[in-house]
Amino acid sequence: MAYKFYKDNREFIEALKANNDLVTIEQEVDWDLEMGAIVRRVCEKKSASPYFKRIKDYPGFEAFGAPLSTYKRLAIAMGMNPDASVPEISNEYVKRTTGDPIKSILVDKKKAPCKENIWTGKDADLFKLPGPMVHDGDGGRYLATWHFVVSKDLDTEFVNWGMYRQMVFDEKTMVGPVLPFSDMGKMFYGKYVPKNKPMPFATVIGCDPLSGVAACAPSPIPEDEFTGMLMGAPVELVKCETNDLYVPAYAEIIIEGEVIPGIQIDEAPFGEYTGYRTSPREPRTVYRVTAITFRNNPIVTVSNMGVPTDEGQLLRSFSLGLEMRKLLESQGIPITGVYMLPESTHHLVVVGVRPAYSGIASQIANLVFGSKLSPWFTMVVVVDNETDIYNKDEVIHALCTKCHPIRGIRKYEQAPGTPLYPFADPEERKWSRGSQVLFDCTFPLSWPKSDLPIKVSFNNVYPKEVQEKVLKNWKSYGFKD
Amino acid sequence: MAQKEYDTFILTELSQFPEDQEMEMIVRNLMPADRRYKYRSFYATAMISKSESKYPDRLWVRLGRGQLQEKPWSIKIIKEVNKFG
Ligand SMILES: Cc1cc2nc3c(=O)[nH]c(=O)nc-3n(C[C@H](O)[C@H](O)[C@H](O)COP(=O)(O)O)c2cc1C
Repeated sequence: MAYKFYKDNREFIEALKANNDLVTIEQEVDWDLEMGAIVRRVCEKKSASPYFKRIKDYPGFEAFGAPLSTYKRLAIAMGMNPDASVPEISNEYVKRTTGDPIKSILVDKKKAPCKENIWTGKDADLFKLPGPMVHDGDGGRYLATWHFVVSKDLDTEFVNWGMYRQMVFDEKTMVGPVLPFSDMGKMFYGKYVPKNKPMPFATVIGCDPLSGVAACAPSPIPEDEFTGMLMGAPVELVKCETNDLYVPAYAEIIIEGEVIPGIQIDEAPFGEYTGYRTSPREPRTVYRVTAITFRNNPIVTVSNMGVPTDEGQLLRSFSLGLEMRKLLESQGIPITGVYMLPESTHHLVVVGVRPAYSGIASQIANLVFGSKLSPWFTMVVVVDNETDIYNKDEVIHALCTKCHPIRGIRKYEQAPGTPLYPFADPEERKWSRGSQVLFDCTFPLSWPKSDLPIKVSFNNVYPKEVQEKVLKNWKSYGFKD
Repeated sequence: MAQKEYDTFILTELSQFPEDQEMEMIVRNLMPADRRYKYRSFYATAMISKSESKYPDRLWVRLGRGQLQEKPWSIKIIKEVNKFG
Protein backbone atom coordinates (compact mmCIF):
# COMPACT_ATOMS: atom_id res chain seq x y z
CA MET A 1 0.00 0.00 0.00
CA ALA A 2 1.38 3.37 -0.98
CA TYR A 3 1.85 5.92 1.77
CA LYS A 4 1.19 9.56 1.06
CA PHE A 5 4.33 10.76 -0.73
CA TYR A 6 5.51 13.39 -3.21
CA LYS A 7 6.85 12.09 -6.49
CA ASP A 8 8.95 15.21 -7.07
CA ASN A 9 10.12 18.40 -5.40
CA ARG A 10 7.43 20.41 -7.18
CA GLU A 11 4.70 18.53 -5.30
CA PHE A 12 6.76 18.74 -2.10
CA ILE A 13 7.14 22.52 -2.49
CA GLU A 14 3.34 22.79 -2.81
CA ALA A 15 2.92 20.70 0.34
CA LEU A 16 5.31 22.94 2.27
CA LYS A 17 3.43 25.98 1.03
CA ALA A 18 0.14 24.47 2.20
CA ASN A 19 1.72 23.93 5.63
CA ASN A 20 3.06 27.49 5.89
CA ASP A 21 6.59 26.19 5.68
CA LEU A 22 7.76 27.87 2.47
CA VAL A 23 8.85 31.39 1.57
CA THR A 24 8.64 32.09 -2.16
CA ILE A 25 11.27 34.70 -3.04
CA GLU A 26 10.27 36.54 -6.21
CA GLN A 27 13.06 39.12 -6.13
CA GLU A 28 16.28 38.24 -7.94
CA VAL A 29 18.87 36.54 -5.75
CA ASP A 30 22.58 36.17 -6.54
CA TRP A 31 23.97 32.63 -6.79
CA ASP A 32 27.28 34.13 -5.61
CA LEU A 33 26.93 33.94 -1.78
CA GLU A 34 23.53 35.64 -1.37
CA MET A 35 21.52 32.45 -1.91
CA GLY A 36 23.91 30.53 0.39
CA ALA A 37 23.64 33.19 3.10
CA ILE A 38 19.83 33.03 3.01
CA VAL A 39 19.83 29.25 3.31
CA ARG A 40 22.39 29.40 6.13
CA ARG A 41 20.23 31.83 8.12
CA VAL A 42 17.19 29.65 7.48
CA CYS A 43 19.03 26.67 9.00
CA GLU A 44 20.20 28.64 12.02
CA LYS A 45 16.75 30.15 12.68
CA LYS A 46 14.83 27.01 11.69
CA SER A 47 12.82 29.19 9.28
CA ALA A 48 10.65 28.07 6.39
CA SER A 49 12.31 26.71 3.22
CA PRO A 50 13.20 29.41 0.69
CA TYR A 51 11.99 28.88 -2.88
CA PHE A 52 14.02 31.15 -5.19
CA LYS A 53 12.13 32.09 -8.35
CA ARG A 54 14.79 34.28 -10.00
CA ILE A 55 18.52 33.61 -9.93
CA LYS A 56 20.96 36.25 -11.20
CA ASP A 57 22.57 35.32 -14.56
CA TYR A 58 20.35 32.22 -14.87
CA PRO A 59 16.89 33.10 -16.21
CA GLY A 60 14.61 30.07 -16.33
CA PHE A 61 16.27 28.33 -13.38
CA GLU A 62 14.90 28.22 -9.84
CA ALA A 63 16.28 26.97 -6.53
CA PHE A 64 14.89 25.36 -3.39
CA GLY A 65 16.84 25.79 -0.15
CA ALA A 66 16.97 23.80 3.09
CA PRO A 67 14.48 21.22 1.82
CA LEU A 68 14.55 18.97 4.87
CA SER A 69 16.28 20.80 7.68
CA THR A 70 13.53 20.32 10.28
CA TYR A 71 11.58 17.36 11.64
CA LYS A 72 8.41 19.11 10.49
CA ARG A 73 9.59 18.98 6.87
CA LEU A 74 10.64 15.36 7.32
CA ALA A 75 7.16 14.53 8.66
CA ILE A 76 5.58 16.29 5.67
CA ALA A 77 7.90 14.45 3.26
CA MET A 78 6.76 11.17 4.82
CA GLY A 79 3.13 12.16 4.42
CA MET A 80 2.66 12.36 8.19
CA ASN A 81 1.09 14.97 10.44
CA PRO A 82 3.50 17.94 10.30
CA ASP A 83 3.47 18.07 14.10
CA ALA A 84 4.38 14.41 14.54
CA SER A 85 6.90 13.93 17.36
CA VAL A 86 10.42 12.60 16.77
CA PRO A 87 9.57 9.19 18.30
CA GLU A 88 6.49 8.98 16.06
CA ILE A 89 8.48 9.79 12.92
CA SER A 90 11.21 7.39 14.03
CA ASN A 91 8.81 4.52 14.63
CA GLU A 92 7.13 5.11 11.27
CA TYR A 93 10.51 5.13 9.52
CA VAL A 94 11.59 1.90 11.23
CA LYS A 95 8.25 0.27 10.41
CA ARG A 96 8.44 1.20 6.72
CA THR A 97 12.07 0.23 6.31
CA THR A 98 12.01 -3.19 7.95
CA GLY A 99 9.62 -4.84 5.50
CA ASP A 100 10.40 -6.14 2.03
CA PRO A 101 12.35 -3.88 -0.33
CA ILE A 102 10.27 -2.50 -3.20
CA LYS A 103 11.88 -2.83 -6.61
CA SER A 104 11.89 0.21 -8.87
CA ILE A 105 10.13 0.24 -12.21
CA LEU A 106 11.40 1.58 -15.52
CA VAL A 107 9.57 4.20 -17.52
CA ASP A 108 9.88 5.25 -21.11
CA LYS A 109 12.10 8.26 -21.81
CA LYS A 110 9.14 10.05 -23.37
CA LYS A 111 7.35 9.91 -20.01
CA ALA A 112 10.32 11.11 -17.98
CA PRO A 113 10.28 14.85 -17.24
CA CYS A 114 14.04 14.82 -16.55
CA LYS A 115 14.50 14.29 -20.31
CA GLU A 116 12.67 17.46 -21.33
CA ASN A 117 16.04 19.05 -22.17
CA ILE A 118 19.17 17.20 -23.18
CA TRP A 119 22.64 18.73 -23.47
CA THR A 120 25.51 16.67 -24.80
CA GLY A 121 28.96 17.47 -26.22
CA LYS A 122 30.02 21.08 -25.82
CA ASP A 123 26.52 22.00 -24.64
CA ALA A 124 26.95 19.88 -21.51
CA ASP A 125 28.61 22.75 -19.70
CA LEU A 126 28.38 22.89 -15.90
CA PHE A 127 28.51 26.70 -15.84
CA LYS A 128 25.19 26.81 -17.63
CA LEU A 129 23.66 25.54 -14.38
CA PRO A 130 23.32 27.92 -11.39
CA GLY A 131 25.77 26.21 -9.04
CA PRO A 132 25.87 28.42 -5.95
CA MET A 133 28.94 29.75 -4.18
CA VAL A 134 27.59 28.50 -0.89
CA HIS A 135 30.02 29.99 1.65
CA ASP A 136 32.64 32.70 1.22
CA GLY A 137 36.01 30.94 1.08
CA ASP A 138 34.77 27.68 -0.41
CA GLY A 139 37.06 26.05 -2.96
CA GLY A 140 34.48 26.45 -5.69
CA ARG A 141 30.82 26.43 -6.58
CA TYR A 142 29.04 23.39 -5.23
CA LEU A 143 26.35 22.29 -7.62
CA ALA A 144 25.71 19.14 -5.68
CA THR A 145 24.86 19.86 -2.04
CA TRP A 146 21.55 17.97 -1.72
CA HIS A 147 21.56 15.34 -4.42
CA PHE A 148 22.89 11.86 -4.94
CA VAL A 149 25.39 10.09 -7.15
CA VAL A 150 24.34 6.85 -8.87
CA SER A 151 27.04 4.28 -9.62
CA LYS A 152 27.15 0.56 -10.32
CA ASP A 153 29.53 -2.10 -9.11
CA LEU A 154 32.02 -3.34 -11.71
CA ASP A 155 31.36 -7.08 -11.16
CA THR A 156 27.85 -7.28 -9.77
CA GLU A 157 24.45 -5.69 -10.35
CA PHE A 158 24.77 -3.66 -7.13
CA VAL A 159 23.76 -0.03 -7.66
CA ASN A 160 24.54 2.66 -5.10
CA TRP A 161 22.90 6.02 -4.50
CA GLY A 162 24.99 8.13 -2.16
CA MET A 163 25.37 11.76 -1.29
CA TYR A 164 28.93 12.81 -2.12
CA ARG A 165 29.46 16.54 -2.50
CA GLN A 166 30.65 17.82 -5.88
CA MET A 167 32.46 21.08 -6.64
CA VAL A 168 32.48 22.51 -10.15
CA PHE A 169 36.07 22.73 -11.40
CA ASP A 170 35.57 23.67 -15.05
CA GLU A 171 32.92 23.28 -17.78
CA LYS A 172 33.25 19.50 -17.83
CA THR A 173 34.79 18.61 -14.50
CA MET A 174 33.54 18.20 -10.95
CA VAL A 175 35.58 17.05 -7.98
CA GLY A 176 34.75 15.85 -4.48
CA PRO A 177 35.68 13.58 -1.59
CA VAL A 178 34.61 9.96 -1.70
CA LEU A 179 35.51 8.44 1.63
CA PRO A 180 37.20 5.04 1.26
CA PHE A 181 34.72 3.23 3.52
CA SER A 182 31.63 4.54 1.68
CA ASP A 183 29.87 2.26 -0.80
CA MET A 184 31.03 4.34 -3.75
CA GLY A 185 34.54 4.56 -2.31
CA LYS A 186 34.73 0.78 -2.11
CA MET A 187 33.36 0.44 -5.65
CA PHE A 188 35.58 3.00 -7.32
CA TYR A 189 38.83 2.71 -5.38
CA GLY A 190 38.41 -1.03 -4.73
CA LYS A 191 37.38 -2.19 -8.20
CA TYR A 192 37.53 0.36 -11.02
CA VAL A 193 40.82 2.03 -10.08
CA PRO A 194 42.89 -1.19 -9.88
CA LYS A 195 41.71 -1.99 -13.43
CA ASN A 196 42.22 1.63 -14.51
CA LYS A 197 38.61 1.79 -15.70
CA PRO A 198 36.47 4.94 -15.62
CA MET A 199 33.30 4.43 -13.59
CA PRO A 200 30.02 5.70 -15.08
CA PHE A 201 28.08 8.01 -12.76
CA ALA A 202 24.89 10.06 -12.76
CA THR A 203 24.37 12.93 -10.31
CA VAL A 204 20.73 13.49 -9.48
CA ILE A 205 19.94 17.06 -8.41
CA GLY A 206 16.47 17.98 -7.19
CA CYS A 207 15.23 14.49 -6.46
CA ASP A 208 11.97 13.88 -4.62
CA PRO A 209 12.38 14.32 -0.85
CA LEU A 210 12.32 10.62 0.12
CA SER A 211 15.01 9.68 -2.41
CA GLY A 212 17.18 12.29 -0.72
CA VAL A 213 16.43 10.76 2.69
CA ALA A 214 17.35 7.31 1.35
CA ALA A 215 20.54 8.47 -0.37
CA CYS A 216 22.06 9.75 2.84
CA ALA A 217 20.78 6.86 4.95
CA PRO A 218 23.32 4.19 5.85
CA SER A 219 21.09 1.23 5.04
CA PRO A 220 22.37 -1.97 3.42
CA ILE A 221 19.23 -2.06 1.23
CA PRO A 222 19.81 -0.56 -2.26
CA GLU A 223 18.71 3.05 -1.92
CA ASP A 224 16.17 3.04 -4.77
CA GLU A 225 14.38 0.08 -3.14
CA PHE A 226 14.72 1.77 0.25
CA THR A 227 13.02 4.85 -1.23
CA GLY A 228 10.27 2.55 -2.49
CA MET A 229 9.81 1.25 1.07
CA LEU A 230 9.51 4.80 2.41
CA MET A 231 6.96 5.60 -0.32
CA GLY A 232 5.18 2.27 -0.18
CA ALA A 233 5.40 2.34 -3.97
CA PRO A 234 8.10 1.71 -6.57
CA VAL A 235 10.38 4.53 -7.68
CA GLU A 236 10.09 5.31 -11.41
CA LEU A 237 13.46 5.21 -13.11
CA VAL A 238 14.65 6.08 -16.60
CA LYS A 239 17.85 5.20 -18.46
CA CYS A 240 20.65 7.74 -18.84
CA GLU A 241 21.65 9.13 -22.24
CA THR A 242 25.35 8.34 -22.23
CA ASN A 243 25.67 5.34 -19.91
CA ASP A 244 23.63 2.38 -18.64
CA LEU A 245 22.65 3.83 -15.28
CA TYR A 246 19.06 4.59 -14.26
CA VAL A 247 17.86 7.76 -12.55
CA PRO A 248 14.54 8.95 -11.06
CA ALA A 249 12.30 10.11 -13.90
CA TYR A 250 10.93 13.10 -11.98
CA ALA A 251 14.26 14.55 -10.85
CA GLU A 252 15.05 18.11 -11.88
CA ILE A 253 18.61 17.79 -13.25
CA ILE A 254 20.79 14.80 -14.14
CA ILE A 255 24.52 15.14 -14.75
CA GLU A 256 25.98 12.09 -16.48
CA GLY A 257 29.60 11.18 -16.91
CA GLU A 258 32.56 9.14 -15.73
CA VAL A 259 34.59 9.07 -12.55
CA ILE A 260 38.19 9.10 -13.74
CA PRO A 261 40.92 6.83 -12.34
CA GLY A 262 44.54 7.91 -12.22
CA ILE A 263 43.97 11.59 -11.65
CA GLN A 264 42.89 13.66 -8.67
CA ILE A 265 42.29 17.39 -8.47
CA ASP A 266 42.37 19.76 -5.50
CA GLU A 267 38.96 20.14 -3.88
CA ALA A 268 37.63 22.11 -0.90
CA PRO A 269 37.72 23.83 1.49
CA PHE A 270 33.98 23.63 2.10
CA GLY A 271 31.67 24.26 5.04
CA GLU A 272 31.13 20.78 6.39
CA TYR A 273 28.61 18.82 8.41
CA THR A 274 30.44 19.48 11.67
CA GLY A 275 29.78 23.22 11.33
CA TYR A 276 33.41 23.94 10.42
CA ARG A 277 35.64 24.06 7.38
CA THR A 278 37.96 21.33 8.54
CA SER A 279 39.16 18.93 5.88
CA PRO A 280 41.97 20.52 3.93
CA ARG A 281 42.05 21.43 0.28
CA GLU A 282 43.59 18.33 -1.23
CA PRO A 283 43.48 16.11 -4.33
CA ARG A 284 40.14 14.30 -4.56
CA THR A 285 37.95 12.22 -6.89
CA VAL A 286 37.36 13.60 -10.41
CA TYR A 287 34.07 13.41 -12.33
CA ARG A 288 34.00 14.24 -16.09
CA VAL A 289 30.67 15.18 -17.61
CA THR A 290 29.22 13.66 -20.79
CA ALA A 291 25.61 14.91 -20.68
CA ILE A 292 23.19 17.07 -18.71
CA THR A 293 19.44 16.45 -18.88
CA PHE A 294 16.82 18.52 -17.09
CA ARG A 295 13.18 19.46 -16.71
CA ASN A 296 11.80 22.69 -18.05
CA ASN A 297 12.48 25.48 -15.52
CA PRO A 298 14.58 23.19 -13.36
CA ILE A 299 14.77 23.70 -9.60
CA VAL A 300 18.24 23.24 -8.11
CA THR A 301 18.33 22.13 -4.46
CA VAL A 302 20.65 23.98 -2.10
CA SER A 303 21.73 22.70 1.28
CA ASN A 304 24.09 24.77 3.35
CA MET A 305 26.23 22.81 5.75
CA GLY A 306 27.35 24.75 8.78
CA VAL A 307 26.40 25.05 12.43
CA PRO A 308 23.23 23.09 13.27
CA THR A 309 20.76 22.40 11.93
CA ASP A 310 20.88 21.58 8.23
CA GLU A 311 19.32 18.59 6.50
CA GLY A 312 22.57 16.64 6.43
CA GLN A 313 22.84 16.84 10.21
CA LEU A 314 19.15 16.18 10.77
CA LEU A 315 18.75 13.25 8.41
CA ARG A 316 22.11 11.62 8.95
CA SER A 317 21.51 11.77 12.71
CA PHE A 318 18.02 10.40 12.23
CA SER A 319 18.95 7.50 9.96
CA LEU A 320 22.28 6.64 11.61
CA GLY A 321 20.57 6.49 15.01
CA LEU A 322 17.75 4.33 13.70
CA GLU A 323 20.08 1.99 11.80
CA MET A 324 21.92 1.57 15.10
CA ARG A 325 18.60 0.87 16.84
CA LYS A 326 17.95 -1.92 14.32
CA LEU A 327 21.42 -3.37 14.92
CA LEU A 328 21.13 -3.31 18.73
CA GLU A 329 17.62 -4.77 18.62
CA SER A 330 18.77 -7.51 16.24
CA GLN A 331 21.35 -8.46 18.88
CA GLY A 332 18.67 -8.72 21.55
CA ILE A 333 20.02 -5.87 23.70
CA PRO A 334 17.17 -4.58 25.91
CA ILE A 335 17.31 -1.04 24.61
CA THR A 336 14.41 1.36 25.03
CA GLY A 337 15.43 3.59 22.13
CA VAL A 338 18.23 5.28 20.23
CA TYR A 339 18.40 8.98 19.45
CA MET A 340 21.19 10.80 17.73
CA LEU A 341 21.12 14.51 18.42
CA PRO A 342 21.18 16.58 15.19
CA GLU A 343 22.84 19.36 17.21
CA SER A 344 25.75 16.98 17.81
CA THR A 345 26.31 16.93 14.02
CA HIS A 346 25.79 13.18 14.33
CA HIS A 347 28.70 12.73 16.70
CA LEU A 348 26.72 11.87 19.81
CA VAL A 349 24.18 9.09 20.08
CA VAL A 350 22.00 8.49 23.11
CA VAL A 351 21.00 4.90 23.80
CA GLY A 352 18.32 4.18 26.36
CA VAL A 353 18.54 0.75 28.00
CA ARG A 354 17.07 -1.35 30.78
CA PRO A 355 20.29 -2.06 32.67
CA ALA A 356 19.55 -5.77 32.93
CA TYR A 357 23.13 -6.93 33.51
CA SER A 358 26.55 -5.51 34.29
CA GLY A 359 28.64 -4.24 31.39
CA ILE A 360 25.62 -3.53 29.18
CA ALA A 361 26.85 -0.03 28.32
CA SER A 362 30.20 -1.40 27.15
CA GLN A 363 28.44 -4.04 25.12
CA ILE A 364 26.40 -1.32 23.40
CA ALA A 365 29.47 0.82 22.74
CA ASN A 366 31.39 -2.18 21.37
CA LEU A 367 28.57 -2.86 18.92
CA VAL A 368 28.27 0.79 17.87
CA PHE A 369 32.01 1.29 17.49
CA GLY A 370 32.48 -2.14 15.91
CA SER A 371 29.85 -1.60 13.23
CA LYS A 372 30.34 -0.51 9.64
CA LEU A 373 28.94 2.86 10.64
CA SER A 374 31.46 3.44 13.40
CA PRO A 375 33.32 6.41 11.82
CA TRP A 376 30.12 8.44 12.13
CA PHE A 377 29.78 7.78 15.86
CA THR A 378 32.27 9.43 18.16
CA MET A 379 30.34 9.55 21.42
CA VAL A 380 27.90 7.05 22.85
CA VAL A 381 25.88 8.09 25.87
CA VAL A 382 24.08 5.17 27.53
CA VAL A 383 21.24 6.16 29.84
CA ASP A 384 18.79 4.03 31.81
CA ASN A 385 15.06 3.96 31.19
CA GLU A 386 14.52 6.77 33.71
CA THR A 387 15.87 9.26 31.15
CA ASP A 388 13.91 10.47 28.14
CA ILE A 389 16.43 10.05 25.32
CA TYR A 390 14.69 12.70 23.20
CA ASN A 391 14.89 15.34 25.92
CA LYS A 392 18.24 17.13 25.71
CA ASP A 393 17.89 18.60 29.22
CA GLU A 394 17.33 15.18 30.73
CA VAL A 395 20.24 13.68 28.79
CA ILE A 396 22.61 16.42 29.93
CA HIS A 397 21.38 15.99 33.49
CA ALA A 398 22.05 12.25 33.35
CA LEU A 399 25.44 12.79 31.74
CA CYS A 400 26.54 15.22 34.40
CA THR A 401 25.20 13.33 37.40
CA LYS A 402 25.25 9.63 36.64
CA CYS A 403 28.39 9.26 34.56
CA HIS A 404 31.41 8.80 36.82
CA PRO A 405 34.16 11.10 35.45
CA ILE A 406 36.65 8.24 35.49
CA ARG A 407 34.89 4.88 35.77
CA GLY A 408 31.97 5.93 33.58
CA ILE A 409 34.10 6.95 30.64
CA ARG A 410 35.80 4.45 28.32
CA LYS A 411 38.00 5.52 25.46
CA TYR A 412 38.41 3.72 22.17
CA GLU A 413 41.56 4.53 20.24
CA GLN A 414 42.89 3.69 16.77
CA ALA A 415 39.39 3.70 15.29
CA PRO A 416 38.54 4.43 11.65
CA GLY A 417 37.64 8.09 11.24
CA THR A 418 37.26 10.82 8.66
CA PRO A 419 39.36 13.87 7.72
CA LEU A 420 36.40 16.01 8.78
CA TYR A 421 36.72 15.88 12.57
CA PRO A 422 37.47 19.38 13.90
CA PHE A 423 38.96 17.89 17.10
CA ALA A 424 41.47 15.67 15.30
CA ASP A 425 45.08 16.74 14.82
CA PRO A 426 46.47 17.15 11.29
CA GLU A 427 48.12 13.72 11.33
CA GLU A 428 44.88 12.02 12.44
CA ARG A 429 42.96 13.85 9.72
CA LYS A 430 45.50 12.91 7.07
CA TRP A 431 45.10 9.20 7.86
CA SER A 432 41.39 9.37 8.71
CA ARG A 433 42.07 8.10 12.23
CA GLY A 434 39.30 8.41 14.79
CA SER A 435 38.85 8.16 18.54
CA GLN A 436 35.65 7.31 20.34
CA VAL A 437 34.25 7.48 23.82
CA LEU A 438 31.51 5.88 25.88
CA PHE A 439 29.72 7.79 28.64
CA ASP A 440 28.03 5.20 30.82
CA CYS A 441 25.18 6.95 32.65
CA THR A 442 23.78 3.87 34.35
CA PHE A 443 24.33 3.19 38.03
CA PRO A 444 26.30 -0.02 38.64
CA LEU A 445 24.07 -3.01 39.45
CA SER A 446 26.46 -3.93 42.29
CA TRP A 447 25.39 -0.93 44.37
CA PRO A 448 23.07 -1.85 47.27
CA LYS A 449 19.50 -0.71 46.59
CA SER A 450 19.53 1.45 49.71
CA ASP A 451 22.51 3.42 48.34
CA LEU A 452 20.92 4.23 44.98
CA PRO A 453 20.37 7.96 44.53
CA ILE A 454 16.72 8.76 43.95
CA LYS A 455 15.83 11.13 41.12
CA VAL A 456 14.00 14.12 42.51
CA SER A 457 11.44 15.07 39.91
CA PHE A 458 7.73 15.82 39.84
CA ASN A 459 7.05 12.45 38.28
CA ASN A 460 9.28 10.53 40.66
CA VAL A 461 8.88 11.76 44.23
CA TYR A 462 5.17 12.52 44.63
CA PRO A 463 2.36 10.04 45.09
CA LYS A 464 0.16 9.61 42.06
CA GLU A 465 -2.85 11.23 43.69
CA VAL A 466 -0.83 14.38 44.52
CA GLN A 467 0.48 14.57 40.99
CA GLU A 468 -3.03 14.20 39.57
CA LYS A 469 -4.42 16.84 41.89
CA VAL A 470 -1.70 19.33 40.99
CA LEU A 471 -2.14 18.69 37.28
CA LYS A 472 -5.90 19.04 37.51
CA ASN A 473 -5.70 22.34 39.38
CA TRP A 474 -2.72 23.80 37.49
CA LYS A 475 -4.71 26.40 35.59
CA SER A 476 -6.89 27.28 38.58
CA TYR A 477 -3.74 27.96 40.65
CA GLY A 478 -3.14 30.70 38.07
CA PHE A 479 -0.49 29.12 35.82
CA LYS A 480 -0.87 29.84 32.10
CA ASP A 481 1.36 27.10 30.65
CA MET B 1 43.93 45.69 -21.56
CA ALA B 2 41.94 45.79 -18.34
CA GLN B 3 43.47 44.04 -15.38
CA LYS B 4 42.04 40.60 -14.70
CA GLU B 5 41.57 39.02 -11.30
CA TYR B 6 42.28 35.49 -10.18
CA ASP B 7 42.69 33.74 -6.88
CA THR B 8 44.47 30.66 -5.66
CA PHE B 9 44.73 28.55 -2.52
CA ILE B 10 48.19 28.26 -0.98
CA LEU B 11 48.71 25.50 1.55
CA THR B 12 52.40 25.99 2.27
CA GLU B 13 54.09 28.70 4.31
CA LEU B 14 53.44 31.93 2.37
CA SER B 15 56.88 33.38 3.12
CA GLN B 16 58.49 30.42 1.36
CA PHE B 17 56.29 30.52 -1.71
CA PRO B 18 58.51 30.84 -4.83
CA GLU B 19 58.24 34.05 -6.85
CA ASP B 20 59.31 35.01 -10.37
CA GLN B 21 59.64 31.52 -11.73
CA GLU B 22 57.43 29.55 -14.06
CA MET B 23 55.28 27.09 -12.18
CA GLU B 24 52.08 25.13 -12.54
CA MET B 25 49.22 26.01 -10.25
CA ILE B 26 45.42 26.00 -10.06
CA VAL B 27 43.83 29.43 -10.30
CA ARG B 28 40.21 30.58 -10.39
CA ASN B 29 38.98 33.25 -12.74
CA LEU B 30 37.16 35.95 -10.73
CA MET B 31 36.34 38.28 -13.64
CA PRO B 32 35.28 36.29 -16.69
CA ALA B 33 33.56 38.09 -19.55
CA ASP B 34 30.46 35.97 -18.92
CA ARG B 35 29.69 36.12 -15.19
CA ARG B 36 28.28 32.61 -15.22
CA TYR B 37 31.88 31.38 -15.50
CA LYS B 38 33.06 33.11 -12.31
CA TYR B 39 35.21 30.78 -10.15
CA ARG B 40 36.06 28.55 -13.12
CA SER B 41 39.29 26.78 -12.10
CA PHE B 42 42.12 25.83 -14.38
CA TYR B 43 45.69 24.63 -14.26
CA ALA B 44 48.02 27.36 -15.48
CA THR B 45 51.70 27.83 -16.10
CA ALA B 46 52.25 31.19 -14.47
CA MET B 47 54.70 33.54 -12.81
CA ILE B 48 53.71 35.24 -9.62
CA SER B 49 55.01 38.00 -7.41
CA LYS B 50 54.07 39.14 -3.94
CA SER B 51 54.24 42.66 -5.30
CA GLU B 52 50.82 43.79 -6.44
CA SER B 53 52.19 45.65 -9.46
CA LYS B 54 54.89 43.40 -10.92
CA TYR B 55 52.73 41.26 -13.23
CA PRO B 56 49.73 42.30 -15.30
CA ASP B 57 46.92 40.61 -13.38
CA ARG B 58 45.84 40.58 -9.77
CA LEU B 59 46.07 37.38 -7.70
CA TRP B 60 44.19 37.05 -4.44
CA VAL B 61 45.55 34.48 -2.04
CA ARG B 62 43.54 32.21 0.20
CA LEU B 63 44.86 29.73 2.78
CA GLY B 64 43.81 26.10 3.05
CA ARG B 65 40.57 26.78 4.95
CA GLY B 66 39.61 29.64 2.64
CA GLN B 67 41.07 32.53 4.67
CA LEU B 68 41.48 35.48 2.30
CA GLN B 69 44.77 37.35 2.69
CA GLU B 70 44.47 41.10 2.92
CA LYS B 71 46.90 42.14 0.18
CA PRO B 72 46.72 40.76 -3.35
CA TRP B 73 49.76 39.51 -5.25
CA SER B 74 50.23 39.73 -9.03
CA ILE B 75 50.30 37.04 -11.70
CA LYS B 76 51.23 36.53 -15.34
CA ILE B 77 49.42 33.58 -16.86
CA ILE B 78 51.61 32.05 -19.53
CA LYS B 79 49.25 29.31 -20.63
CA GLU B 80 46.34 27.18 -19.53
CA VAL B 81 47.28 23.51 -19.08
CA ASN B 82 44.69 20.93 -20.11
CA LYS B 83 44.96 17.84 -17.93
CA PHE B 84 42.41 15.81 -19.84
CA GLY B 85 43.90 15.81 -23.37
C1 LIG C 1 24.86 16.71 2.44
C2 LIG C 1 25.78 15.52 2.57
C3 LIG C 1 27.03 15.53 1.94
C4 LIG C 1 27.87 14.43 2.04
N1 LIG C 1 29.07 14.46 1.39
C5 LIG C 1 29.87 13.38 1.40
C6 LIG C 1 31.07 13.38 0.65
O1 LIG C 1 31.41 14.37 0.00
N2 LIG C 1 31.83 12.25 0.66
C7 LIG C 1 31.46 11.14 1.39
O2 LIG C 1 32.19 10.13 1.32
N3 LIG C 1 30.33 11.11 2.13
C8 LIG C 1 29.53 12.21 2.15
N4 LIG C 1 28.37 12.21 2.88
C9 LIG C 1 28.02 11.01 3.64
C10 LIG C 1 27.37 9.97 2.73
O3 LIG C 1 26.31 10.52 2.00
C11 LIG C 1 26.83 8.81 3.50
O4 LIG C 1 27.88 8.07 4.02
C12 LIG C 1 25.84 7.97 2.73
O5 LIG C 1 25.31 7.00 3.57
C13 LIG C 1 26.38 7.34 1.46
O6 LIG C 1 27.28 6.36 1.76
P1 LIG C 1 27.01 4.79 1.54
O7 LIG C 1 26.46 4.64 0.16
O8 LIG C 1 28.36 4.21 1.73
O9 LIG C 1 26.02 4.36 2.61
C14 LIG C 1 27.50 13.30 2.80
C15 LIG C 1 26.26 13.30 3.42
C16 LIG C 1 25.41 14.38 3.32
C17 LIG C 1 24.10 14.32 4.02
